[in-house]
Amino acid sequence: MKFISDAKLLLKVTQEYKTAQFTLAFSAILTLLFLFYSYDFKAGHSRPVVLIFFSIYAVTTGLIALSSWMIKKDLASDREIKRPTRLLGIPLVFTVLIGNIFAASYGFMLLSKNKTAEYTFAVYALLTQIFIILVSALNIYKPYVVDSFLLTMGAFIALSVVYLVMIVLIAKYVTPVTAPKWMLFAGIVLVAATVTGNIFSFLLGYSLIQKARNKDASTIEKWQKMWQKILRNTMAVFGLFFIIFMFSLSVASSWTFDYDFATKNDYSALLQTPSLEHPLGTDDYGRDLFSRIVFGAQISLIVGFFSTIIPAVIGGALGAISGYYGKTTDNIIMRLLDVLYAIPGILLAIAIIAAFGANTTNLIIALSVGAIPTYARTMRANVMQISNYEFVESAKALGASDAAVIFKHIVPNSLAPMIVKATLTIGGAVISTSSLSFLGLGVEPHIPEWGNILKVGSAYLETHSYVAVFPGLCIMLLVLSFNFLGDGLRDALDPKAN
Amino acid sequence: MKAAFFSRHFEKATTKKGNFLALVLLGFLVHLFTLLFYFLKRNDPAYKRKYEQKVNDLRSSNDFAEWIQDFRKQEQAKAQFFNQSLKEKELEAIASELASEKLHKEASLQLAAEGINKPSYKEFFAGLLKNPIFVALTFIPGIFMYVLLAIYSNPFSYFIVTRIVQSIFVIIGVATLVFTILYLSPFDPARNILGVGATQEQVDNFNRLYGLDQSYIQQLWNSLSGLFTFDLGTSFAGKEDVAQSILNKFPVTLEIALVSLVMAIIIAIPIGIISAVRPNSFIDYTFMIIALIGLSIPSFWQGLIMILTFSIDLKWFPATYNPNNWLSLVMPIIVLGTSLTASIARMTRSSMLEVIHEDYIITAKAKGLSGRKVISKHAIRNAMIPIITVIGLLFGGMLGGASVTEKVFNISGIGSYIVDKQFIPDIPAILGGVVYIAVTISLVNMIIDILYNFFDPRIRAKMKKS
Repeated sequence: MKFISDAKLLLKVTQEYKTAQFTLAFSAILTLLFLFYSYDFKAGHSRPVVLIFFSIYAVTTGLIALSSWMIKKDLASDREIKRPTRLLGIPLVFTVLIGNIFAASYGFMLLSKNKTAEYTFAVYALLTQIFIILVSALNIYKPYVVDSFLLTMGAFIALSVVYLVMIVLIAKYVTPVTAPKWMLFAGIVLVAATVTGNIFSFLLGYSLIQKARNKDASTIEKWQKMWQKILRNTMAVFGLFFIIFMFSLSVASSWTFDYDFATKNDYSALLQTPSLEHPLGTDDYGRDLFSRIVFGAQISLIVGFFSTIIPAVIGGALGAISGYYGKTTDNIIMRLLDVLYAIPGILLAIAIIAAFGANTTNLIIALSVGAIPTYARTMRANVMQISNYEFVESAKALGASDAAVIFKHIVPNSLAPMIVKATLTIGGAVISTSSLSFLGLGVEPHIPEWGNILKVGSAYLETHSYVAVFPGLCIMLLVLSFNFLGDGLRDALDPKAN
Repeated sequence: MKAAFFSRHFEKATTKKGNFLALVLLGFLVHLFTLLFYFLKRNDPAYKRKYEQKVNDLRSSNDFAEWIQDFRKQEQAKAQFFNQSLKEKELEAIASELASEKLHKEASLQLAAEGINKPSYKEFFAGLLKNPIFVALTFIPGIFMYVLLAIYSNPFSYFIVTRIVQSIFVIIGVATLVFTILYLSPFDPARNILGVGATQEQVDNFNRLYGLDQSYIQQLWNSLSGLFTFDLGTSFAGKEDVAQSILNKFPVTLEIALVSLVMAIIIAIPIGIISAVRPNSFIDYTFMIIALIGLSIPSFWQGLIMILTFSIDLKWFPATYNPNNWLSLVMPIIVLGTSLTASIARMTRSSMLEVIHEDYIITAKAKGLSGRKVISKHAIRNAMIPIITVIGLLFGGMLGGASVTEKVFNISGIGSYIVDKQFIPDIPAILGGVVYIAVTISLVNMIIDILYNFFDPRIRAKMKKS
């Protein structure tokens, strides 16, 4: 490592210190929120449960501040973070149990000196798993749970232990370029664990297998470099965490949540305020809002995913053809797409749904059609640029067909901006889905979808505002996560665009 | 002088095939006659005679024999290289054929050098245009062609006209697309309005009344002409004049959208500039995180939360729109403008960051200008160009998104009108609403495009050169 003499500069390049500052700010904001919420201004008394949470968060914030100060002192005196400072991470790790993801991930980061991409993956795999266990565990206050609940929870706890063991092993044995041979087995197990929807586990398993098999160094380095760039962006990592958490939760919800709570009417529990049995209350038909929101994540993710991938493929292909052939082909395709581009996406979607009826499939089609031109334009610009490179010319000279040149040589090299664009537009698709559902033009009203829940909530805004508040928060957090991840990906993959 | 003007620009414009076609089509009355003259003149016997004489002259000259010798050698060398054996006769035939080919080419070249040539129609017509009498005679029948030529003569007017023609095509395309989507609808408006109990006779009557029994082309033609003449007939339900109701509802939507736009620009651009001037500082992070939140917040939820806070709890603003109370417009404007503000702020920041790293900014700094002056005089002006384009594009999205905001605040604008009509589906109302919004957006974008082509000195200079 390069020797940095200036203490201030050293402070600036130390990842731990930067994260400490960041975590401190977030933890402080959360603490203040708890403090604000701990007193019921209308009724004039305090809420003891919230007060307990507040005090734990306050202690956490104090710990983070202390660690941040100790890092500063260590760096000034020894130019490295000393062991006692690192050990401060241990209490911070446990804050995951009260949902402070920021402090927990900072704790893990502080604990290990050896920060490979695998270490981060393992940490977040564990955090995701624990979050899922915590959220699913809220179901034990329900009158009954689904049959697979206990089994699934047991499996999840076992998985968490596996992840925890992996964290320790990785910190000890895995270096930035190699991993011991026996890690191959662990990698296969971790990849298999992806069936729970925990994509961090897949990423971890994949990179462990790569390293353990000792594949060629350049592949490993490319993979590591890319992830290091993404993981350096703290907000992008939290975005990725929340997306994977939501995805994993919607996969796990089929085994740990009862769909009946989300759809069956219960006239004995209409519009109840949040309680342990109904953590977010119930709606006007007595359906449990918490279950509805969890199942709503499935619909939002499915619609968001498909209405991004379909236009990306169609628009990408059109853009590639148009950019490669140029001239008349380009003119015809782009002028036709101009027509689509002139109609705002949501209006076109309304027109399509008006014509063919409101259901999930039509919604996906409607949202996809409007998004085609933007993808086509992005792809076209990339292809036009890449078509001029030497490797394309050499492929042509070797006699490759046009289709082979486009789809084997040009398209793979122009995917990065498309991926960034897709990540940034999934968020927009999620918002459009819920907006259209809110207007009664999206998903069928009986399906638990965030926009549908909000529609009910808007009718009870005056008396039962929580029905409208929570699903909106979920939409916002999910979209925000996609946007943070998209920004991070753009900085990592496509530095030009920023 | 005027005649030479037309001729010069005719020659310049017709280097593009499309332009030539447009000129012929617009001036077909003139071209009908000139083409006739051209064909008569092309078969001019005098030219043929001269050409034949030239060919004969050349054939008898020494050059021709030399050419035959040259080609002979060439063919022999070729055959030798490929290890082929050529018979003497074959060789002779090939050589003389190649030589006579060259002979004809040479003949027409030499004639052209002497000023005698066979003109193409384009050259012929350009020649005619040089004659002021011809122009004066054909000015009335060929008026459209001359107007087009005048447009071609100026790069600015050429650009504007192309842009307008493009927009007209896009508008026609939009109308056709939306109509086709609604035409393909499996729903039956007649059944939806008349109810399940309607007899077949009643349904047929309804369809005849609204022209739904006509063919696709006929209906499309009716709709398109209706859109351009602002006569869309009456809506299926309620029998109100569609064009009139759209006209009544458009101003509210436009008013809210425009005020939001102004608010967004006033707030976002300074934020973007401050963030770009201090990249990666605390203030930059704070602004950009707030901007990202603004981009991620669903507008209808933001509306609900604002109603909850400012109408129900604090009682500052009324929750629903009332035309006589401007306070009721405050919340819709903020809601509609939020994502726009966020986008513009992010765009301004990245555009400014790009400009700040340009060489001319370093030059300006090296000259000793103060940081403030560099930013305000050199950076902002150059960074604004992409931002203006983006604002134009976002404005479209905003008009589209207005339907959601209008529904939340109960504003009877164009957006909520379309949404209300979609259940039947009321084809003329939806078509009119969507197409007129798309037309507005196209016009706004076109005007922005044209304006900044005028104001950007780089583009202006490039146009003048071409």
